[in-house]
Amino acid sequence: MLEKLLKYEIRATARTFLPLYGLILLLAVVNRALFQSAANQMNLFNIPRAITMTVYVVLIVAMFVMTLVVTIQRFYKNLLGDEGYLSFTLPVKTHSQIDAKMIVTLLWSVLSILVAAASIFIIASDADTLASFSRFCAGVAELYSRYGLHAHLIAFEVVALCVVDFASGVLHIYASIAVGNLAGRHKQLAAFGAFIGFSVVEQIFVLIFVEAFGGSISGYFRAFHYSSEYFPTAPVEIALLGMIAYSAVFFAAFYFITDWILSRKLNLE
Amino acid sequence: MDSILECRNLVKYFPGCLALNSVNLSIPKGRIVGLLGPNGSGKSTLIKLANGLLTPNAGQILVGGAAPGIETKKIISYLPERTYLNDWMTVQTMLDFFSDFYENFNRAKAYDMLQRLHINPGDRLKTMSKGTKEKVQLILVMSREAELYILDEPIGGVDPAARDYILDTIISNYSENATVLISTHLITDVEKVLDEVVFINMGSIVLTSTVDDIREKEGKSVDSLFREVFKC
Repeated sequence: MLEKLLKYEIRATARTFLPLYGLILLLAVVNRALFQSAANQMNLFNIPRAITMTVYVVLIVAMFVMTLVVTIQRFYKNLLGDEGYLSFTLPVKTHSQIDAKMIVTLLWSVLSILVAAASIFIIASDADTLASFSRFCAGVAELYSRYGLHAHLIAFEVVALCVVDFASGVLHIYASIAVGNLAGRHKQLAAFGAFIGFSVVEQIFVLIFVEAFGGSISGYFRAFHYSSEYFPTAPVEIALLGMIAYSAVFFAAFYFITDWILSRKLNLE
Repeated sequence: MDSILECRNLVKYFPGCLALNSVNLSIPKGRIVGLLGPNGSGKSTLIKLANGLLTPNAGQILVGGAAPGIETKKIISYLPERTYLNDWMTVQTMLDFFSDFYENFNRAKAYDMLQRLHINPGDRLKTMSKGTKEKVQLILVMSREAELYILDEPIGGVDPAARDYILDTIISNYSENATVLISTHLITDVEKVLDEVVFINMGSIVLTSTVDDIREKEGKSVDSLFREVFKC
């Protein structure tokens, strides 16, 4: 059933994002035309240039703001608003509803980043930037050849960390909305309070952890031999693993809270 | 086991209000049952508990012998008292949605009803009037071949002509084993289709009876008995 939920979740959100992506890429092309052609030399185009650049920047900001807004709005409206009457009478597991919303948010966030990167590339790419980009790629390739399998492991860990950390952020929002919905009234305010409350708990957790294990952790990392020629990969791998584990703990906690409230404590108005 | 819906000492309260006070109720299979009561009597609360949209504070509610969950959601076709349609969809998308998620959704039946009520499947729900949306919703719900139809105020917002068509649809569309639970206060309109009635007030069941019994023993219509029981 998850695929079906994903299908409708993507359709419901694509209406917002696809036109925005199209506009951004279009404006990137227009900007390039105005900045990099002969038009660049003419004062006549100063004002159009300023306008298209401003609109482009505004759209980029809007795209990332929309990602956040849609994350909140889809969860709140589709599950806890009137549409929840349909969502929660479908014969699907509650966690599938959470999964679908989380995966689709992740998808649009990745796409938004790619669109932003592509648009910057469209506007700014010229012989110089292309040359430095290929130099950068060559540098990465060299690192790979030097560190072999370890480089792959680190790359994988970085991607995993980004995904888990981002998903835990999304679930932080979901859990807060779910907790807020338990309140009889002022649900939005309660959700906001829950968000801050969770953040405080997270900080306290980190403080206690650092207090208890900080000394031995920094001792562990200091024991490696570092030099400018060869940087040992083990401490990087271990540090990344630690950060992934940290994010995963909060991911699991927020997921459990959201699922538990929606399946055991659901009370739609 | 003959009952499709069963409540055992069911309690539900909201902050500052006891919505259901230890309700015991058994709805038999294959009947059309009216859940009748004044505003705020607990009708919608009971219905939402049956659909798993609310969680009981005490007691049990069982649908086909099981607590609300995936299996009960497969066999209940529920019409809520509000519009739950996703604004961005067309009627067509909504039909796809229902056939994707409910195995017992009968698409041909839905198209037939849409045509009868002159609703264009290509129309977007956003542009529709409240009454038309209610009709679409009712068509979706009645096009499922469910074991239990729970209709919360199914005719409240539609015109009298459509009301008749909808009631006809309800009677003609359900199979022999299916049960229909209708909550309403428009009793005269639904009286002719009901087999049984459940009167509910202030969170308690006041009376359960067959319509024939009311007519024979009390010599009254359901409507006049209702007015008597709930006299203000």
